[in-house]
Amino acid sequence: MLGVKLFSTRVARTPVLLGGLPRLPWAWAAGGALALLASCGVGVLAGPVHIGFGTVTQALLAPIPGLGAGISVDPGQANILWSLRFPRVVLGVLVGGTLAVAGAAYQGVFRNPLADPYLLGAAAGANLGATLAIALAPGTSVFGVNVIPLAAFVGAGAAVAGAYALGRTVTGLRSTTGLILAGVAIAAFFNSIQSYVQQTQTSSIRQVYSWILGRLVTAGWDDVLLVLPYVVLSVAVIFVHRRLLDALTLGEDEITSLGISVRRVRLIVVVAATLGTAAVVAVGGTIAFVGIIVPHAIRLLVGRSYRVVVPLSVLFGAAFLVLADTAARTVVAPAELPIGVITAFLGAPFFIVVMRSTRGAPL
Amino acid sequence: MQEHRRRASAKLAAQIGVTAVAACLTLAACGGRQSSTPNVPTVHFPVSITAPGGATVTIAKQPHRVVSLSPTATEMLFAIGAGSQVIAVDDQSNYPASAPKTKLSGFQPNIEAIAAYSPDLVVAAEDTGGLVHGVQALNVPMLVEPAAKNLNDSYLQIRQLGAATGRPAEADSLVGKMRSEVGSFVASLSKTSRQVRVYHELDNTYYSATSNTFIGQVYKLFGLTNIADSATSATSDYPQLSAEYIVASNPDLIVLADTKCCQQDLSSVAARPGWSVITAVKTGQVIGADDDIASRWGPRIIDFMRAVAQHVQQVEKAA
Amino acid sequence: MSDVSLSAVTVAYEGRPVVRDLDLAVASGEWLSLIGPNGAGKTTVLRAITRLVPFDGDIHIGGRAVARLSSRDLARGVAMLVQEPQMPAGMTVSQYALLGRSPHLGYLGKESSRDRRIVRDVLRRLGLDELASRALDRLSGGERQRAAIARALAQQAPVLLIDEPTTSLDVGRQQSVLELIDQLRREQELTVIAAMHELTLAGQYADRLALLVGGRLVAIGSASEVLTEPAIAEHYRAQVKVIEMNGSGTAVVPVRR
Repeated sequence: MLGVKLFSTRVARTPVLLGGLPRLPWAWAAGGALALLASCGVGVLAGPVHIGFGTVTQALLAPIPGLGAGISVDPGQANILWSLRFPRVVLGVLVGGTLAVAGAAYQGVFRNPLADPYLLGAAAGANLGATLAIALAPGTSVFGVNVIPLAAFVGAGAAVAGAYALGRTVTGLRSTTGLILAGVAIAAFFNSIQSYVQQTQTSSIRQVYSWILGRLVTAGWDDVLLVLPYVVLSVAVIFVHRRLLDALTLGEDEITSLGISVRRVRLIVVVAATLGTAAVVAVGGTIAFVGIIVPHAIRLLVGRSYRVVVPLSVLFGAAFLVLADTAARTVVAPAELPIGVITAFLGAPFFIVVMRSTRGAPL
Repeated sequence: MQEHRRRASAKLAAQIGVTAVAACLTLAACGGRQSSTPNVPTVHFPVSITAPGGATVTIAKQPHRVVSLSPTATEMLFAIGAGSQVIAVDDQSNYPASAPKTKLSGFQPNIEAIAAYSPDLVVAAEDTGGLVHGVQALNVPMLVEPAAKNLNDSYLQIRQLGAATGRPAEADSLVGKMRSEVGSFVASLSKTSRQVRVYHELDNTYYSATSNTFIGQVYKLFGLTNIADSATSATSDYPQLSAEYIVASNPDLIVLADTKCCQQDLSSVAARPGWSVITAVKTGQVIGADDDIASRWGPRIIDFMRAVAQHVQQVEKAA
Repeated sequence: MSDVSLSAVTVAYEGRPVVRDLDLAVASGEWLSLIGPNGAGKTTVLRAITRLVPFDGDIHIGGRAVARLSSRDLARGVAMLVQEPQMPAGMTVSQYALLGRSPHLGYLGKESSRDRRIVRDVLRRLGLDELASRALDRLSGGERQRAAIARALAQQAPVLLIDEPTTSLDVGRQQSVLELIDQLRREQELTVIAAMHELTLAGQYADRLALLVGGRLVAIGSASEVLTEPAIAEHYRAQVKVIEMNGSGTAVVPVRR
């Protein structure tokens, strides 16, 4: 209404490109897709049980109508591949992609390079919820769904809502620092309650620990189906906020004077990222580092625009976690290593290399 | 490496044997002398006991205010008739039901809380949080009976507790009974040509136990093949196994030591992705063990072994 | 229709009023400079017009009450150039300027080729077309100021609020930036309200000056009316010589005490 057409007389008729706009570099997109494919390939081929390349391919093709006709795979090996290895690789894709993109989103909305999916106490809340469910209502299920992941969801949501409410009363949401401090306080508070419950309910200590360390070990298609809707929703919401995440890198007054509601963007993106985080924490446990390393490596190597960071985080985060999980189940096979150990062990040196080789690039 | 390990454990066993002999010598009560009235101990204090940890503990007179911070020791004390001398047990000591359970913790011992019971003997499984130092400062004898590596360790600990509480005869007879039962279980099993594969589960994320553990020694005694033994030396004696490895190993017998912690049973195991094809699941050879019995090294291990022996017989019969 | 009017506007921070009962009317196409000593409330007036601070009283733009506009409509009517724009590292000039199109897009909208054309023309007008692909953190001070102006112009709002446009620029760049804003104002018929420190430049470029002291309007009028030696001595506690230059405004020259 108030806008005026300032340049209408001078708008060129012929389409002229405007240089310098961030585009997802195709080489990197293709590279990311390839890295994901390759890591999935490694993931399905490697495992404590040796299954040959031919058998894996045949097992993959067998269920496809037409193509699979006439292929017969040893049922034992097919069982291992289809019931255990394939769902675990798929779950690795979902968990890794979600953690990385949620990390990128948190860093964007909080404008803090150290923000990660656990920042607002999401993981602390999830762990407390799960611990309470394990300690107080073992083996309960609601509508046929195990109550533990549900409790984890509720816990994560409560922690983030608490951090949000606290940060808002303290700073009116204008300052991201206030929100982060509130998140740290909530996380510490939830952790202390969790420790207390854990100490007083020592009989459930083993199950609590195994929950916190993650259950990719026991993953099946059930877990894939459990997290898939949340992961898809979470990633999709963050994906469509790419432009606004870029806008959030401006100063708060400038964003507001552009007619963008910082509060609304922040709320929607944080809820989406937390939803995805809670879902993957419910199946993958607390897997540190992925949410920080992957987005930052992309910023340093490719570019800082969220049009680049968001899609590439999904691809490389997924590829990274599938590889880490493959290492977790093969390095000391037939025993397992905790995946968090692998992500930190592989991730930290890699990140240092990236940081050194791109010295001077702004973080 | 493997050889070295074996030799080391042989050496350890020898040491334990020597210690046992030493304990018997100082007691002058082991093995022989039958007490005419079992309820009235006739042992003369003071006694000296060399615990597996190496320290020698001297107990001046028969204790009547024993505090046990070890669930296994609690079970042993009650099994040898020393229950009436026990005034407090830790929060994990849930057997027998008559044990005077308190809020004392064996994981995070509180010396003041222990002292409040004015004990004349404290028994624990671990020296955590400066426990031994703290109790010694109270001038109270302190006996540490750590996790047993095998049945012989258990027998020794029962005898030591018998000596410490003035009930050596009861301890002897309990050990004798356990030995003969174990012997009969082993005898009941054929010298299997076919190795029975067992998977022992500690929790529902597939943590297991190798033959280096107490429970693993029980399976070894029965001649079973423990699938966790394939886990390399890079991991602990309680490795977390890959699901696909467990499925591929196709165990004949699954022992669930996570029925209480994690509510696992035959149906929940059968419902796990890919597990329905496992022989043990198909034949129903899934033992739901009491988590506590399977994780302790007390007298009730005999009940556990009886159940395992019965299932192994069934597996052999079916073969 | 891009006149701006403030009537009885009061802004308080934590109960302490920083702008008191301010009445101000800026005509469409006019350049008004807000002057006054530090803490006079110049920036706060600009922030109130863009609703960055809550205020009492009425502010109208083109006859419409600011308080009742949606934030997008407000952003289509008023563009704001803050004193120290945050220039995200790694962002290119064109991407930065394109963000100025935000008020014209839906919440999750995507820029159209029309938006890109508008930005390209703005960059060309500001002589930034060569720098379109350059990262903001690799620009000189003057280039950064022009990039910030480009972002504000891309907003295509008829009212432009500017907070200290010449801070940290040398005298040549100060002149060229103000010259540019003045040209754009004439070409696009923009209404400009600028908070300014440098009194001589304020007087040279503005149609009128408004002198704020302690949040109150103490004088408003042409440079020669407002920039008097006694007024500056009283409100700035500065000893100056005011020189009327034929045809090129009023110079305010500090004099050594």
